[in-house]
Amino acid sequence: MSSTSLYVDADSFLHRLDPRAKLALLLAMAVPAYTFGRPAFIAIPFVAALIGLWIGGGLRNLRRVWFIIVALFIVGLVVWPGFVERGGPVVVDVGPVFLTEQQTLFALGRSLRITSFILGGLVYVSTTSNEEIVRGMRGLGLPYAFCFAVGTALRLFPTFLDAAGTVRQAQEARGLEISSKNPIERARSFIPLLIPVFMTAFRNIETQSMALEARGFDTRSERTFYRESTFATRDWLAVGATVAVSIASIALSTVGVGTF
Amino acid sequence: MRELLTMWRDTRMVMLVAVVAAVYAALLIPFKLFTILPGLTSIRPANVLPVFFGIAFGPAAAWGSAIGNLIGDVFGGTFGPGSIGGFVGNFFFGLVGYKLWGNLGPLSSGEEPDFRNQRLRQLIEYVAVAVAAAAACAAIIAWVVDALELVPFSVLGPIILTNNAVSAVVLGPPLFYLAYPRVKEMGLLYPDVLRTEDLPSRANSAGALAMLVVPLVWIGIAVLVLGGAPGSTAQIGLGAVGFLVTAVAAYVAGENFSAIVREA
Repeated sequence: MSSTSLYVDADSFLHRLDPRAKLALLLAMAVPAYTFGRPAFIAIPFVAALIGLWIGGGLRNLRRVWFIIVALFIVGLVVWPGFVERGGPVVVDVGPVFLTEQQTLFALGRSLRITSFILGGLVYVSTTSNEEIVRGMRGLGLPYAFCFAVGTALRLFPTFLDAAGTVRQAQEARGLEISSKNPIERARSFIPLLIPVFMTAFRNIETQSMALEARGFDTRSERTFYRESTFATRDWLAVGATVAVSIASIALSTVGVGTF
Repeated sequence: MRELLTMWRDTRMVMLVAVVAAVYAALLIPFKLFTILPGLTSIRPANVLPVFFGIAFGPAAAWGSAIGNLIGDVFGGTFGPGSIGGFVGNFFFGLVGYKLWGNLGPLSSGEEPDFRNQRLRQLIEYVAVAVAAAAACAAIIAWVVDALELVPFSVLGPIILTNNAVSAVVLGPPLFYLAYPRVKEMGLLYPDVLRTEDLPSRANSAGALAMLVVPLVWIGIAVLVLGGAPGSTAQIGLGAVGFLVTAVAAYVAGENFSAIVREA
């Protein structure tokens, strides 16, 4: 597995689940995070996602994406108060910053929602390998050609990422300046980086296509698979839990529990 | 629009989807020009690629851009419900190019996008195509993210529009000048790869102009008229109408690029 991947090779309960069951669990975190508005309620899927990361050994991935999560959380706290009516006691009144309790709770809820979504996604990618992602898509009934393209792209991506790094180093060694203060100059300096990478990538398409066809690749015919997806009892339990959590969240929020 | 489905029968188009997706994702992540909101959005040079790929590779670029953005989310750690908006938005980012080039009536140069003849007219046409693609992508992503009540449309829409348009407009012309002839020489232009019967049989400038105007009007209304009402019925309803009209316009527009390539 390439170092660019967030997948953690382990044998946890989450790893053993079918990729479709893991997608269902992702939904079980997303539905309450979406239906509830109050931070105390959205904190439940947030904490569940953190526990999922701990179980799946994905906490180390937090180190790679913490900056994004913190930035999104702060941006939510800054942006959302401007879109809510003031109400309740004043929480902050410092210079131009004036926040009421309602604005603060609303913004906190929205920030928790977006970070819960990201953490839930992180649990999925930490416990699901590229091959399983594609197998899950196939299991959901997506067409084989589409799944093949996604699988091939996932395999090619680290190669092109490495190539992009190499081209950057090579061009900088030749004197390419990509940190000019003039924004137009700076933008144009990326052309010598973009072109070599994608010309290299596209040069072999003809040969790769012929190689595929020579091995009998045909997107129209019925296919058989060496490894068929089986949905075990634990997977059905995960789906059942998702349905229960989703129905409960929708029902509770409909009667005003956990909402503003 | 039939070509978006029938292209999957051709092995070269399937490989093009995979390579477009991988290249887009690989160039999106490491290179950035300026950060606008830390962690949320930056101006990235790779945002020119869906427009370039869209014109050159047609339907393969639409699918490839959508998958590439999804891969970027998976490897970048931002995979989640918002990725649905990213998938559909980037699909349209790649779709607009081949629907509009050569199909914009008075705005079209009638030339292949190699920036060798009629440069000013090609530039005008290219800017129109790039802005339309950027706007369609921005409107769809901001609509979905707003509906999920993650970030308000009025905040995210203009930011994505600027991100996408700046890179595409600044980097597009030199990229086309240098890379288009080579891609053509490789025989990878979509009119050369797709079977004639899979290509749309007509071109309709009214549909293409609607694809240019509708996303811009959609963003304008969402930001200036509806403004600060995230997750509101009006915002979601406007998005549904905007998306539907853009999709119908794409169907009606057909494409005219293959005729230009054949005549060249």
